Amino acid sequence: MDIHEELKKLTMFLADYSSTMMAVGVQTSRVVRNTSRIAESFGFQSHLILFQKNVMITLEDDEKEHTYTRVQRIPQLGLNFATNMNLSKLSWQAYDDHLSVDELEQKFKEVRDKPRESPWTVLILVAFANASFCRLFNGDATSMAIVWVATLAGFFVRQQLMKRHWNHLAVFIISSFVASMIGSTGYLFHWGGTPDMALGTSMLYLVPGVPLINGIMDIVDGHVLAGVSRLVNASMLIICIALGLSFALLITGITVL
Amino acid sequence: MITTDFILSTIADGLFAAVAGTGFAIISNPPRKALLISAFLAFLGHSVRFFLTHFDLIQMNLASASTLAALTIGFFAIPFAMYIKCPAEVFAFPSLLPMVPGMFAYKAIIALIRMVQATSEADTSQYVVEFFHNGITTILVMFGLVVGAIIPIFIFHRQSFSITRPDKIK
Repeated sequence: MDIHEELKKLTMFLADYSSTMMAVGVQTSRVVRNTSRIAESFGFQSHLILFQKNVMITLEDDEKEHTYTRVQRIPQLGLNFATNMNLSKLSWQAYDDHLSVDELEQKFKEVRDKPRESPWTVLILVAFANASFCRLFNGDATSMAIVWVATLAGFFVRQQLMKRHWNHLAVFIISSFVASMIGSTGYLFHWGGTPDMALGTSMLYLVPGVPLINGIMDIVDGHVLAGVSRLVNASMLIICIALGLSFALLITGITVL
Repeated sequence: MITTDFILSTIADGLFAAVAGTGFAIISNPPRKALLISAFLAFLGHSVRFFLTHFDLIQMNLASASTLAALTIGFFAIPFAMYIKCPAEVFAFPSLLPMVPGMFAYKAIIALIRMVQATSEADTSQYVVEFFHNGITTILVMFGLVVGAIIPIFIFHRQSFSITRPDKIK
C-alpha cells in the first residue's frame, strides 16, 4: 500500500482511539503511552496534543519523510473504566501480535459498544453507597434512611435529565437541589439525632471524584494543562452542587451547616 | 488505647466505606472483577485512615492520614493488577472515592457564597477563615490521596506499565 494511504488509515483509527480514551476518563499519560504503542507496532511515531474538547494527532514514518495529521473532537461518553481496561489491553495486543488496522478497528468497535451496567443497578447501589457514606460521618440510622431516599430521587433525576441531554451543569444544580430538599426533611420534621449529617451528605454522590483524581494525576505526571482543565471542570461541578444546596437552604430557611 | 470497641468501630468504618466505594465506583462502569477488589481496597484504606485519625496515641490530621491510607491502597493494588491484568488505577481510584473530601469542597463554596452575603465585618472574616480552612483541606487531601496511591505505581514502574499485557510480563 502507498505509505500515505497507510498513514492516513492508521491516523484515522488512532484519532478515534485516543479521543475515546480521553472521553471515558483515562489519565493523559496512559492515553499517550497506549497510542504511541500502537503506532510503534506499525513502525511509525505518533505525537499527540490533548485538550479537553479536542485531540490532535500527527503520525510520521521513521525517515520523517511523510506525515499525516488529524484533529478530532472528543465525544461525550461518560466515565467508563471497563473501556479503559479493554482499550489498554488492545494496545498490547496490537504491539505483540501486530494486528492490522482493520482488525484493530473491529476490536475497538466491540469494546466501545459494550453495554454499560444497567441504570437501575447503578441507581440502587449509589443509594446504598451514599447512605453508608452518611454513616461514615457518624449519621444515625434515621439519617441514613433519609440520605438513601434523597440519593435515590436525586440520582434518578440526574439519570433522566442526562438521558435527555440537558446541560450537565444544570443537571448537577437540579439534582443537588432535589437531594438536599429531601435531605433537609430531617431538620424540618425533627427526624433522628443527626439531621445536619443527613443534609450534609445527601448530595455527596454528585462529587466528581474520578475527574478530580485524574486531574491531580495529570498534574503530577507533567500534563499540567490537561490536569488543570480537568480540575476546573470538576470545580465547576462542585460549585453547581453548592448552588443547588444553597437554593434548598434558602427555601427551607436552614442556616446551620 | 486499643479496645474491642475501637477495633469494632474501625472494622465497621471500613465495611461502610466498602459499600460506599462500590456504589460510587459503579457510576464509572468498572469491569465486574475489579469491583470486588476496589471494595476490598476501600475497606482497607478507610479503616487505615479511621485508625490513624481516631487512635488516641496518633490523632493524625486528615491530610497525612489520607496520604498513608492511599499509600496502603496503592501497594495492595499492584499485586492485584498483575493478577487480573488490569491497570492498577481501574480499581485503586474507585477505592479512593469514599475518601474524596466532597463535603469540605462544597462547604468551601458555601462559605464563599455567605462571605458575599455577610453584613458585618466579623461575619465576613469568619467566612474567610471557613473558606480557607475547607479549601486548603480539600486540596491537600486530594493531593495526598493521589500522590499516595501513585507512589507504589512509580516504584513498580516497569510492572505497572505492562500490566495489561497478556501473559508476557518480562
